[in-house]
Amino acid sequence: MSEPSRHQQGLWQGPALAWAVLILLFLLNLGSAYVPLGPGNVALNLVIAAAMAIVLAVFLMDLQNSTILVRVVAVTGLFWTMIMFSLTFSDYLSRS
Amino acid sequence: MSDLSGALQEPWPDLRLQREAVGLGMWFFLASEVLFFAALFCSYAVYRSFNAEAFRIASAHTEIVYGSINTAILLTSSLTMTIALRAATAQLRRTTLICLGATAALGVAFLITKGLEYHSDIDQHLIPGPDFPLKPPATAIFWGLYWIMTGVHAIHLSAGIGVVIVVTTLFWRGTIPVQGSTMEGVAIYWHFVDTVWIFLYSLIYLAGRS
Repeated sequence: MSEPSRHQQGLWQGPALAWAVLILLFLLNLGSAYVPLGPGNVALNLVIAAAMAIVLAVFLMDLQNSTILVRVVAVTGLFWTMIMFSLTFSDYLSRS
Repeated sequence: MSDLSGALQEPWPDLRLQREAVGLGMWFFLASEVLFFAALFCSYAVYRSFNAEAFRIASAHTEIVYGSINTAILLTSSLTMTIALRAATAQLRRTTLICLGATAALGVAFLITKGLEYHSDIDQHLIPGPDFPLKPPATAIFWGLYWIMTGVHAIHLSAGIGVVIVVTTLFWRGTIPVQGSTMEGVAIYWHFVDTVWIFLYSLIYLAGRS
């Protein structure tokens, strides 16, 4: 069974662009790890990782076309993660 | 009009709503998964905040080549998974099957690379215990977290590969139609496993390179 090539091209356009951006960010992340920035290295690596996660979530997990309800549920885990980190570090960093 | 026989389930009036419901359910599940992995990342952050130099030394002993190859593999598998989902929605059965097969193959390639990496780590005795070679002692905390975090991730990926293989088989046999809502949940889960790896790669392999 043949499937129209026009359809095939439409399937790849958006996701292929998102993939290219992800690969570029990955290479940028890898390269930046070898630049001596001291404590700035891990911060930069995490910022680039967060940017990659956003590209993945918005374009490949298709949150850009999701309903508000789905988007709210998608950030719920991050919200509770923020609370977990805040409470944990408020304890550890305030110990004498 | 498209053939919806077998694709539409009760109580949904149309496939769009049914797919949305499956996606929503998967996102609810992933919210709990985010917290599961967040607890591990939080442990990493706490120990690293008190042992920054030890973590830098320990991280420099991870296999950056294997880690980088695996990152490229997983990012590419997310592309093939997205195409599989789009093809399924467009009822392009053959493209769906090919892309699902490619996704599973890339997942297996990740596990093989991970196996090679684990073999190299074991050869260097990088397992916390009596023969652990690195100093200071806090480097063992990093390597303990390394085995737990990458191991748990590999288990999640293995589950994903299993699901992809089962779904591909069901599509291939025609047991369930490709244009149903099954692909929605499978794709979101796969991308999540990829997202977790992106952060693991940054914290485990890239720390301590400069």
